Amino acid sequence: MQCQKVSFRYRPERPWVIEKFQHTFRPGITLVKGASGCGKSTLLRLLAGFLEPQQGSVLTPLGLAPVDTHFQRCALAFVFQQLNLLPRATVMRNLELAASLAELPSTRIAANSAHWLRVLGLDACAERLPESLSGGQQQRAAIARALVREPLVLLLDEPTSGLDDLNTRVIVRALQAFATPPPETEPPLPAPRICVISSHDARLEPIADEILDFNRFLPLERHLEALV
Amino acid sequence: MKSSILIVSYLWKDTWKRWCEQPGSPLARLWITALLVMVATVILTAFQLVERSLQQRLERFGLDTLLVRQAVTPDSPRFFRHGREADELASLGEMGRKLRLRQLFTRGQTEWSGNNLPVFTYPAEALPWLAEMLSTQTEAICASDELPPHTQLHVRINHRVILASVARPPNWLRALSADDFLLVPQGWLPDEEQSGWLETTVFQRGPTAPPMDQIIAAVNALSSFNQRTPQIQSALPLMRELEELRRRHQQWRAVLAGILGAAVALVYGAIAILEFRQNLFVGALLRSFGAPTRLLYFRHWLENAALANAATVVALLLISVLQPKILESFSLPTVPSQDPNGPAAMVFLWVNFGAFLSSLPVAAGLRQPVGEILS
Repeated sequence: MQCQKVSFRYRPERPWVIEKFQHTFRPGITLVKGASGCGKSTLLRLLAGFLEPQQGSVLTPLGLAPVDTHFQRCALAFVFQQLNLLPRATVMRNLELAASLAELPSTRIAANSAHWLRVLGLDACAERLPESLSGGQQQRAAIARALVREPLVLLLDEPTSGLDDLNTRVIVRALQAFATPPPETEPPLPAPRICVISSHDARLEPIADEILDFNRFLPLERHLEALV
Repeated sequence: MKSSILIVSYLWKDTWKRWCEQPGSPLARLWITALLVMVATVILTAFQLVERSLQQRLERFGLDTLLVRQAVTPDSPRFFRHGREADELASLGEMGRKLRLRQLFTRGQTEWSGNNLPVFTYPAEALPWLAEMLSTQTEAICASDELPPHTQLHVRINHRVILASVARPPNWLRALSADDFLLVPQGWLPDEEQSGWLETTVFQRGPTAPPMDQIIAAVNALSSFNQRTPQIQSALPLMRELEELRRRHQQWRAVLAGILGAAVALVYGAIAILEFRQNLFVGALLRSFGAPTRLLYFRHWLENAALANAATVVALLLISVLQPKILESFSLPTVPSQDPNGPAAMVFLWVNFGAFLSSLPVAAGLRQPVGEILS
């Protein structure tokens, strides 16, 4: 997944959040870390096509721009930092809805759901509504919903923010299983898969194939602003 | 399961739960729409009733009928108790049917229900026109739409009692009076004729005669030449009134439609924007999975349209039940409308247009990038 001289700002009168960013995201897990406000989350939204760069371009592994509907439906999964689950649907229905939009057959949806709920320790929560889950369970359910879609590109924005070590370990294990599945994984997962995590959580560094320090793209003034 | 079914099912559940949690939102929309629809329909129906009533008057009077009245008092040079003065409007007889009568300044009382009948006297030359109304028993005729035809009844005129036979008046004579009236031969009521009368000429235009406005102009010119100022009655003012009413009806329809559409659009739009903002993140989340934006827009449009149409149906049903009672309480006629679905169709059209307009801000909101909403 390629970023070619990508520049973005939210308003024309505001400074660039990301300026002339150039990088190729390879299969495996890439950890984007940096200070708050350095543009990590914005980068993920650009990679997902939820924002469009004012300059430069992003190219997905399918050879399409990320705003392409087919890419967003069938090849992408995004885990937001908060408010990830549809509040009036059970965990299972959340998974089914997301997977069905990825155009997976129902047998595959059922197998994937069972698999990822088990991996993420949510077997018992499948029929519960999000409001009855703890913060950690909700975040794990959101990751299950992303993984059940069998995405080529998985983007996670601060997936372990505010979570305890136990929850973080479960999530780490699931992400590793997604990025480097053992050959006997059932159901088999397509490869290669790109996983980009935006986080300043050091607990995620061990599983990263590549760490991208976003601070280095920041001008000195922004460092000082972040510190203040 | 097909994704669209799952999404529609989720959106329906979401909408239903939202209604249950905040019943004020759908109820306010239902109430306001029903109220507006009722007001609009009552006004439009009132216009139709007035129009219908005017049409009935017009039908009763007749489009080709002309009535000319001139008071003749005992001191008038035209006062001939016995015999006839010269007929200034004699030439009208060549253009259609003409009947020259005297309306006396007295009224007749029937033995039934105390009718108060205008009394007209007719000359012998009017007999051919009245032949179908005459009976063998008496030459006095009680023209009535209510009383049974051919019935004999006694009519008291001051101290005199005369026998009259009931007959249905021909259409062209209905212009003489809106109610029942009495026709007696001239000379039967000499005492009453002493105090004068209204010289009354009823004329019905023939098929080859000039247009009615030209005839009226001619009668006016003739009267002014003879230095007389008769009262001329024709269907023309009624027709003008009807045209004016129809024009106003059209204007009111447009104004009411505009008000209804704008009010529905504003109220529904304001609520739709509030609810859309409340659900902004959920909508963005669904879009982030790839849920079609048009489906999310359709949900808002459908919600507004369903509520607006439900309220309209309820309001129209209420009106259909209450309207006759309300009209009755205001002593208004409850004649059936010629186009009973007219106001309803227009109301439905504008309510739906308003509902569509109200969903446009949502369509604009759905154009906001997911990344900006979820940032």
